[in-house]
Amino acid sequence: MAKKTKKSPTRSRGQSNRKKKKPANKRRWFSWSLIGKLALVCLVLGAAGLAWLDALVRERFDSHVWQLPARVYARPVELYEGRVLSREDMLKLLELMRYRQDARASTPGSYAVQGNSLLVHTRGFSDSDGGEKPERIRLTLSGGQIRSLNGDDLARLEPLQIGSIHPQHAEDRVLVPLEKVPPLLVEMLIATEDQGFYDHYGISLRGLARAMLANIKAGGLVQGGSTLTQQLVKNFWLTSERTLSRKLMEMPMAILLELHYSKEEILEAYLNEVYLGQDGARAIHGMGLGAQFLFGRPLEELEPHQLATLVALLKGPSWYDPRKHPERSLERRNTVLKVALDEGALSKADYDKYSSRPLEVVPRGASALYAFPAFIDLVRRQLARDYPPEVLSDEGLHIHSTLDVLAQLAAEGALRDHLNRRDPDDSKKLNGAVVVVAPAQGDVLALVSNRDSREAGFNRALDAQRPIGSLVKPAVVLSAVSQPKQWSLATQVEDGPIQVKLPNGDVWAPQNFDKQSRGAMPMVDVLAQSRNQATARLGLDVGLKQVAGTLKTLGVQRNIPLYPSILLGSLELTPFEVAMLYQPLSTGGFSTRLRSITDVLDKAGQPLARYPVSTDEVVDAGPAFLTQWAMQQVVEEGTARAARRHLPADLKVAGKTGTSDDFRDAWFAGFSANHLAVVWVGRDDNRNAGITGSSGALPVWAQLMGKLPQRSLSQTPPAGVEWVWMHPDGRRVSAEGCGEARRYPMLEASIPEDSDGCGAVKKTGKGIKGWFKGLFD
Amino acid sequence: MLSVQRLVRLMLVSLVLAGCAVRPPAEEPAEPMTASQELAGSPALSLLGRAEAARQQGQPAAAERYLERALNIAPDSSWLYKELADLRLTEGDPRGAEGFALKALRLAPDHDDYRAGLWELVATARDRQGDSEGAGQARDKAAELRSPRAKPV
Repeated sequence: MAKKTKKSPTRSRGQSNRKKKKPANKRRWFSWSLIGKLALVCLVLGAAGLAWLDALVRERFDSHVWQLPARVYARPVELYEGRVLSREDMLKLLELMRYRQDARASTPGSYAVQGNSLLVHTRGFSDSDGGEKPERIRLTLSGGQIRSLNGDDLARLEPLQIGSIHPQHAEDRVLVPLEKVPPLLVEMLIATEDQGFYDHYGISLRGLARAMLANIKAGGLVQGGSTLTQQLVKNFWLTSERTLSRKLMEMPMAILLELHYSKEEILEAYLNEVYLGQDGARAIHGMGLGAQFLFGRPLEELEPHQLATLVALLKGPSWYDPRKHPERSLERRNTVLKVALDEGALSKADYDKYSSRPLEVVPRGASALYAFPAFIDLVRRQLARDYPPEVLSDEGLHIHSTLDVLAQLAAEGALRDHLNRRDPDDSKKLNGAVVVVAPAQGDVLALVSNRDSREAGFNRALDAQRPIGSLVKPAVVLSAVSQPKQWSLATQVEDGPIQVKLPNGDVWAPQNFDKQSRGAMPMVDVLAQSRNQATARLGLDVGLKQVAGTLKTLGVQRNIPLYPSILLGSLELTPFEVAMLYQPLSTGGFSTRLRSITDVLDKAGQPLARYPVSTDEVVDAGPAFLTQWAMQQVVEEGTARAARRHLPADLKVAGKTGTSDDFRDAWFAGFSANHLAVVWVGRDDNRNAGITGSSGALPVWAQLMGKLPQRSLSQTPPAGVEWVWMHPDGRRVSAEGCGEARRYPMLEASIPEDSDGCGAVKKTGKGIKGWFKGLFD
Repeated sequence: MLSVQRLVRLMLVSLVLAGCAVRPPAEEPAEPMTASQELAGSPALSLLGRAEAARQQGQPAAAERYLERALNIAPDSSWLYKELADLRLTEGDPRGAEGFALKALRLAPDHDDYRAGLWELVATARDRQGDSEGAGQARDKAAELRSPRAKPV
């Protein structure tokens, strides 16, 4: 207050000074020649401005009309007779893809349940093999399988869109060409927003007058005077600031637009450009994305009352947001329907029918879009290696990914259920990650990086680098059996105290989990029971270098320090890297790069690039088979036998538990013939989580694997491997039924000549020679 | 009654033995190895057909996609891996071809001619990668399988 009173006299003095000088200047301002000159300058500037605006209008409209972020799709669901697919899962898929029930499944995106069978009208899609046209298929599901599929032997559901790749504050859009826009939407749009659209040249004085009149009548703002063309200019070129310069540019730009382009082109641009709201940082532009955002369906599949809801939004996307203000939105929607009735776009019967329908907006976040942020993150990282950001955000690429929706949901459910059981309080200290891979092709089927799977943020599956504990042990076994003259799975290894003096003077003296030493035991039991002291001894005998080499061969890309502690898993890897490490173990020695993308198509659906499968034989068949068999014993009788409860009795699977020091990390990595899954559970702050591989991670793995269709690991030994009954000393062959003799797969080079003399000792010969030999033995 | 049962049992046993005696396990099937035999009744067979058609029409990417889809349905098919190996070789990716051919060999039934063909494919792929020693070894394996004398008696 004090300042104000002080200042005002000074200001008035200044003003009075200026006033005194003004008359003198005024005379000069009105010189006619100056006015003439100014007019000329204005004319030149105006012409230049117009030319500039013209260039601006044409350049943006012609070259780069829309930013179209790359869209990511899950793998298309393949349907064929005999495929394992429960009716429940099939219906779940249809619901996720927003198929609607319709007794005759008459339009794409609809289905009908008819007793035991389903009639599904697919939507069709593009793919690098040509893709699929929309078609009606009838399939019968029973006993958890597809029993029959009408007509063809194969059909595919279109892939579910699971996300889009765009920079943080970019626009998102689903481009819909005019011929695919429902005509009713266009009629409603013109009836409510710009009745003179087909007659005016970009601006409409009549429209302006009518709007003013309507506003005066209503005593408030009910109509805007802008034409659709002007609205497009606003959306397209100008910021939303209501400035005078913007207003001044809007009209000439609208006229220029009309001069260069047809009404159809302008309409199409409008429908795809118009701003419809905000989804966090993502701006919703265009009717195509609007339809997805509000109703979870393609625009073509919307019903009249839903189209009217979209048109209703134009008057104020946030004011008429049907999720935030359903009553307001419903009222405006019905106004749109009424205008459509008045203009003859809608029959009275349809008006009555649709104006009584509820809004039917899908709940926010229920959409499969943005439901799998961890996986989309992986796709984004893989794409970023090959495409610059502007291509990904602008060019409308279609990315076909490897995500298997059912596997993903099973993985999310398994992690969530287990952590909610173990760590039910609100503090939610435990978290975890799951990676599911189809090992033969290296397809990443599922990726979970948070117990709340929809939450983006720290991607534990890709970035949480943790000590792998006993997960390393199969690599020790593989290193040993790769030297068959010295070691076999039957070889006795001493599980006893062991001390290694380290270069820095420390002594490394590993303990077993139960703090006991069990003495000599066969190598297979060392793995199955996860004995630390025996593994350390074996690993030191085999050689740290050899074990590190095996880890590298299997796919570890990090530097592996040659400390004895690596034998017990001091090596730190992410869950994804563990999946890479276990992938060759699951395929009998074939290493396949993990991929999250199969194909990239351009916005017209033409193939651009493939990410093909490739595979290398990195481990010989024999040692790979032995290691896999030893890992099966972990589940059959070892630290993972609790998993058996969740799995079919005859299913052969393999795996390994892992626990890091102080119970910080719980791991389980295991596989059948068609699924490899890695589970990590721990705390972000890396404190004691009080969990082991068996208690913390195995239950997640078992529940997940139990939910997926599985195939057993092959029990047929490859060439060079035979089943042999071995004496417990591991140095002599024996025979079935002889004391403690056990049967092992043995590499030929490690089968001893000596026998314990019990029973009819016989090597299982192969081929005719063996057969005849067997006949006479 | 008892003796009749015993007689029936004896007859059954001798029949089984006779069957065994006249038909020792075959070293290889009489028929040549074909896709329609390996993939009989599987929809993977029709995808294989589409892959072959796509290749003939000069669409290797489409062919590859069909084969990958087929493998999802029939993951243990040696033939599908052989097709992928062939495709990679003609597309100028000998390393990829070698990997797939070795995988096809791993899954191959005991069919000497078929396996020999795969080893020859491996040999060509190794040659093209400049690995003449590896190619020689693969060729030896193929020759061994082709030579009737080398087969186990």
